[in-house]
Amino acid sequence: MRGGLIAAVLAVVVIVRVWGRRRRRTTGQRQTHGGLGPFTSDVGLVAAREMRERFRGKIFRVGTLLILAVIAAAIVIPTLDKGKPEPQRVGLVGALSAPLRAAVVSSAKSVGTTVHFVSVADAEAAHADLRSGRVDLAIVEGRELVVNKPIGSTDISTTAQFVDAVSKNLGIVEAVEAAHLTAAQSSELAGARALPVHSLQPGAVKGATHTTSLIGLVLIFVMLSQYNTWILIGVMEEKSSRVIEVLLAAVRPIQLLTGKVLGIGLVAFVQASAIVVFALVLAKSVGSDLLHGTAPVVLASTLVWLVLGYAFYCWVYAAAGSLAERQDQVQSLAFPLSLPIIFGYIMALTAAGSASPSSFFKVLAYLPPTAPFAMPVLVGLGKVTWWEFLASAVISIVCTVGVARLATGIYRRAILRTGGRVKLRDVLTRAAG
Amino acid sequence: MSGLLELEGLTRRYGTLTALDSLSFSVPTGQVVGFLGPNGAGKTTTMRAVFGLTDLDAGMVRWNGAPVGQAERRRFGYMPEERGLYPAMRVAEQLEYLGRLHGMSAIDAQAATTTWLERLGIAERADSKVDALSHGNQQRVQLVAALLHGPEVLILDEPLAGLDPAGIDAIGGVLAEQARSGCCVLFSSHQLDQVEDLCESVTIIDHGRLVVTGRVDDLARSGPRRLVVRVEGDRDASWARGTAGVTISEVDGGAARLVLDPSVESESVLRAAMAAGRVTEFVFERRRLSEVFREALK
Repeated sequence: MRGGLIAAVLAVVVIVRVWGRRRRRTTGQRQTHGGLGPFTSDVGLVAAREMRERFRGKIFRVGTLLILAVIAAAIVIPTLDKGKPEPQRVGLVGALSAPLRAAVVSSAKSVGTTVHFVSVADAEAAHADLRSGRVDLAIVEGRELVVNKPIGSTDISTTAQFVDAVSKNLGIVEAVEAAHLTAAQSSELAGARALPVHSLQPGAVKGATHTTSLIGLVLIFVMLSQYNTWILIGVMEEKSSRVIEVLLAAVRPIQLLTGKVLGIGLVAFVQASAIVVFALVLAKSVGSDLLHGTAPVVLASTLVWLVLGYAFYCWVYAAAGSLAERQDQVQSLAFPLSLPIIFGYIMALTAAGSASPSSFFKVLAYLPPTAPFAMPVLVGLGKVTWWEFLASAVISIVCTVGVARLATGIYRRAILRTGGRVKLRDVLTRAAG
Repeated sequence: MSGLLELEGLTRRYGTLTALDSLSFSVPTGQVVGFLGPNGAGKTTTMRAVFGLTDLDAGMVRWNGAPVGQAERRRFGYMPEERGLYPAMRVAEQLEYLGRLHGMSAIDAQAATTTWLERLGIAERADSKVDALSHGNQQRVQLVAALLHGPEVLILDEPLAGLDPAGIDAIGGVLAEQARSGCCVLFSSHQLDQVEDLCESVTIIDHGRLVVTGRVDDLARSGPRRLVVRVEGDRDASWARGTAGVTISEVDGGAARLVLDPSVESESVLRAAMAAGRVTEFVFERRRLSEVFREALK
C-alpha cells in the first residue's frame, strides 16, 4: 500500500512537470522573471497572493483552531476513559476458595481493571444487587456466575471482557482441581502461555483504524467543502469587483485560475498536514492507539485523496464561480455541486462501520467524485490492494485533466461576461461554435 | 520611445448587434489621443479588444507592426471603465502585486508604488484598504495600477469620470507627461472640453465605425468659417436670420454663433450686423470639439 501511495505522488509530480514544459513550449514567451518562465512565475505570484490572503483571514485561523480542538477531543477523551477503568464489583454468595479468588483477581488484571469483592447474604440478595447495579457480577458458591443482562459476542465493554475472563479462568481452576493434579502439574498449567500467532500482514487494531477512518472522512469532507467554496467565492468576487479586467490585461485566464486553485489548494494541504501531524503527535504523547495497526496508512491515504479530491473539484467550482456575479447566485450554484460530495461522504460513513463493504461502494471508489471518500475507507478496512488504489488514483488524475480543460474553457468565456448570471448553456454553445 | 498602435478592421458582433464594424485607426506615441463617441458607440469594446478581453470576430491589433500578444500586453497599461481593485486589499500591497504581474521585480514594484502614490498625493493611504478610500482616491490608485510598470501604451477608459477639478488636473497632468515621455496614450471621455484641453488628437467613432480622426487643431480649423457677432439691443440675433449664406448655430445672451457658407464674405455679414445696430462683438472662432463631435455624428 505504501508503494502505491509513493507511485501516486510520483505520477502527480511527473504530470505537473510535463504539463508545465508543454505550456512553456507553446507560449514561446521570453523569460522576464529570472530563472522561471512567465507562466510559472505569474502562477506563483497569483498563488502566493491567495495563500497570503487566506492565511491572514480570521476564518482560516479560527477554523483551524476549531478543527484542532475537535481532533484533540477525539483523541484525548477515549484515553481518559481508558486510563481510569472502574473497578468491577463482584458479589460473593458463600465462600470462594483462595485459588478461585486469585483467578478472579487475575482475570480483572488481564482486562486492565481491578476487582472489589462484596459479600452477599444469599442468591436472592445477589440478584437484587445485580438489578440495582450495585454489583457487576455475582459468584454463587464458587460455581455459578450471574449477570444482570446477557452479554453479546460483540460486546467489548470492560465488564463483558471481565466476565468472559472470569468464566474461562474459573473453569480452568475447577478442571485442575477435578483432575487431582500434583502441585507441580498445577503450577505448570497455571503458568501456561498461549502460543503466539503470526500474521502475514501488520496487525490491525480495528477500533483505532475505524476511528482514524472516521477522522479522515470528516477531514476530507470539511476541507473539500470549505476550500472549494473559497474558490467559488474568490472567482465570483474577482468578477463582481471587476478586478478581473485589470488582472487579465496582464496574465492569461489559465494562469490566473491555476494560481488561484494552486494557492488555495496549498493552504488546504498545509492545514490538513498540520492537523494530521498534530493528531499523530498528540496521539503518541497521550498513548492513544490511533497510531496502531493500519491507522498511519489510512491517514496517509486520507492526505493523498484530499489532494486528488481537491484537484478534481476545484476546477468545477472555479468554473461555477465564473458564472456568478452575486452572493445569492453562489448559493444556487454551490448546492448541486455539493451533492456528490455529500453522497460520497454519507456512503463512506455507512461503509466505514461495516466489516464488508458492498460492491456498489467499491465501484464508488473508482469514480473521481466519490473516490476521495470511498477509497480511504476501503484502505482502512483492508479491502483494497495497492494496485487498485493506484488505478483509482490514475482514473481520478486523468478525469481531473479533462475536467480542468473544460472548466478553464468555461471560465475564460464566462469570467468577463457581466450583467447577470451567465447560463452554462450559453457558454458551452459558444465554446462549441 | 517611439511606436505605433494600429487597430485594423476590428469587428465584434453580439448576436444581431454589431459592436465594432471593421474599425481601423492608429495611435502614435508622444500624443494624448482622445477617443470619443456617443454611448454604445463601441469605445469600451475597442479598448477591451486591445487587451484581448473581448473575442474579435475579425481584425487585429498591432504594436510597432507586430500582432499584440500577451508579452506585449504586459508592457501596456489599462484602466477599465468599471474600476477594478481588490476591495479588502491594502493599497500599496495591491499595487506591488499588479506591478509584479506586469513583470516588475519586487524591489522595483515597491519603489514605483511609493513614487506614484507620493506623486498623486495619496502616500499616506498606502496601508489603507481600497474600499476605505474615497471615489477620487480609488480612481488615483487605479491610475497608478496602469502606470506603475512604465507602460509603452496607456489605454484609459473614462479616467476623468466623477473627478473634481483638482483630480482632473492631476490625472490630466500625468497623461500629458506620459505622452511627452514617449508613451502612446489613448483615453475615452464624455467631457469634451477637457478632452480638447488635454489631447493633441481625437478619434470619433459611432456604431462601431470610424467617423473622424485627426489632430484637434486641424479639425478645429477645418469646416466652414465661424463668427461670433453681438449686436446691441438684439438679443435674439434676428438681424442674422434674414442674411443669405449664414446659419445660426447658437444664440447665447445676444451673442450669435454663425456658420458661414463658403461663398459668403465676412465683410457682408459685418455690414448686415452694423445695419441692425451697434456691433459690440465680431470674432472669428475655431470649431470647438463639441461642434466637431456633433457635426461628425449628424
